[in-house]
Amino acid sequence: MDAEGLEGFRDFVDSRSSALLRTAVLLSGGDRHAGEDLLQNALAKAAGRWHRIDEPEAYVRQVLYRQQISRWRLKWPRREVSVAEPPERGAAPDDSAAAELRVVMRAALSRLTARQRTVLVLRYFEDLPEADVARLLGCSVGTVRSTTHRSLARLRSLAPELAALGPADVEQQSSRDYSPVEVRP
Amino acid sequence: MNVDELVRDSLREQADAQGPAVPGLADRVLGLRRRRRTRRIASIAAAAAAVVAVAVAVPALESGGTTDVRPADVTPPNRISAHPDQSPPRDLIAAGRTALAAYYATTVVPRSADRAVSTRTYWLLNPTTKKYVKTTKWSWVAVAPGLRTAAVLEQELPVRRIGLLDLVSGEVKRWIPVDHAVGGLAFSRDGRELVATAYDRNPDLRVKSSGSEGWQANMEQSSRTGFYVVDVTSGASSWTGIEAGGGDFAVGNSRQDFAFSRDGSRVWAGTPMQPGYEYYSRQGDPVEPPAGEKYAQWYVDAGLSPDGKRLAGDFAGKKYKTSSWILDPRTGKPLTETHGQQLLAWADDSSLVAWDIGKDGDEFHQRLVLVTPGSEKVVVLSDFRATGDDTLGRWEPVFADR
Repeated sequence: MDAEGLEGFRDFVDSRSSALLRTAVLLSGGDRHAGEDLLQNALAKAAGRWHRIDEPEAYVRQVLYRQQISRWRLKWPRREVSVAEPPERGAAPDDSAAAELRVVMRAALSRLTARQRTVLVLRYFEDLPEADVARLLGCSVGTVRSTTHRSLARLRSLAPELAALGPADVEQQSSRDYSPVEVRP
Repeated sequence: MNVDELVRDSLREQADAQGPAVPGLADRVLGLRRRRRTRRIASIAAAAAAVVAVAVAVPALESGGTTDVRPADVTPPNRISAHPDQSPPRDLIAAGRTALAAYYATTVVPRSADRAVSTRTYWLLNPTTKKYVKTTKWSWVAVAPGLRTAAVLEQELPVRRIGLLDLVSGEVKRWIPVDHAVGGLAFSRDGRELVATAYDRNPDLRVKSSGSEGWQANMEQSSRTGFYVVDVTSGASSWTGIEAGGGDFAVGNSRQDFAFSRDGSRVWAGTPMQPGYEYYSRQGDPVEPPAGEKYAQWYVDAGLSPDGKRLAGDFAGKKYKTSSWILDPRTGKPLTETHGQQLLAWADDSSLVAWDIGKDGDEFHQRLVLVTPGSEKVVVLSDFRATGDDTLGRWEPVFADR
């Protein structure tokens, strides 16, 4: 990397790493250390091709998503996450119940497979349409839809407290593509 | 509330709870890349002799430079010697022309509160018993084609003499003194010459830098001073002063060893700066790389195939989870994608020894395999090495022609 490239890389990391880290931690099921490892590896990969990358953020995000799904790039792919956060104190009863549900949900999210969690992060945190998720992960739209469907069903089975919630939009659509999920690393 | 709304809220809350990324992350990432490359260049220089010759000759060890020359295997054996149950290996691992001539593992030995030395423990193949023998005597070992002679450096680099070690007896038969202290060695393809890289300070020094955990190589301050070309038989050497280049913004490895080009006409070193290598004439003038090596990635140890028609390339990961490119050396374009996470040495014109992962999918949990581009066949040569950096279980191979 030449001097100009180094400067550009440092500027990019300084300005975007905190935002990227948020995504990386979510992809890692809430494990901050695993998220930092994931981001560090993705940035290292970007540094190696810096002069060939037109849109660094898009590139790093794609590496994050695919890296997390392929999993083999992670040194500790099955690190367990323990979640034992009490609901916020002093909140109104309704707020307290909602906060408690979110704690339950976070614990359940951490127990999904990496690819299930990645699809949910892309759909619901990054708010990406199914077609964009499919393009990013290198799979079909039907696969994205069926994975989303299965992931939400899995969340319900992991946390019975979620059973009372209404179905998601995707669960109300007919999801005819139940082919195995194929995601290229 | 729908379940998807709760997923959305939970993810956002979790994201908002994250503090900012650690300060100095960019430098940490660059340091990570450099550490990986430091490990790679260490094996490149030591494995330079892995590029095979049809007929190689290793000069005699007797002092005085007699004309007694011992030929290595003129007709390379094709037999595979595999030990899939051994890691680190105890018995000879070899395939085709190439053999695991030695291996080493590094441990970081603190010398003070803020300085340490990355120290190699070697296991050297005894060519008679065909077993690996552990030694902590040497800080650097380069094995000559033929597997009978190694050039060694003592501990506490840089040092002012090069030893020629008889790998059968384990005895140093001759010492070659040098005026400029050296820290790395690589044999020429025919085993008749050595290139020795000189440093002012220990190139394996580690320091503690702010914002980083653990010991780091000091990347901005390479102390490389030049190289010797040493005639092994006579001990005569020529000195060329070349400092680590690149200017103020250069990112370099503290160890940045020289090696011979395939035809022996040039001396080169890898560099993390574009184009990834620097080539010099034997007199120290900057020159272009030889044809066939222009597209070589310096951290891909295998390099050109013995017939020069194929070039081992970087990680691919398209067709298989872990795979590498085989390139056309004339154009740099991929010819095919082969099994193998990291290509280490050509066993013959059509197969290579590589690191590859197992079914657990862990990138760091690798074993030696023999792969054949264009074929699904993978022959396991060793058991898996340990995953922890700087432990004796994480061995690095040194290949040489047998």
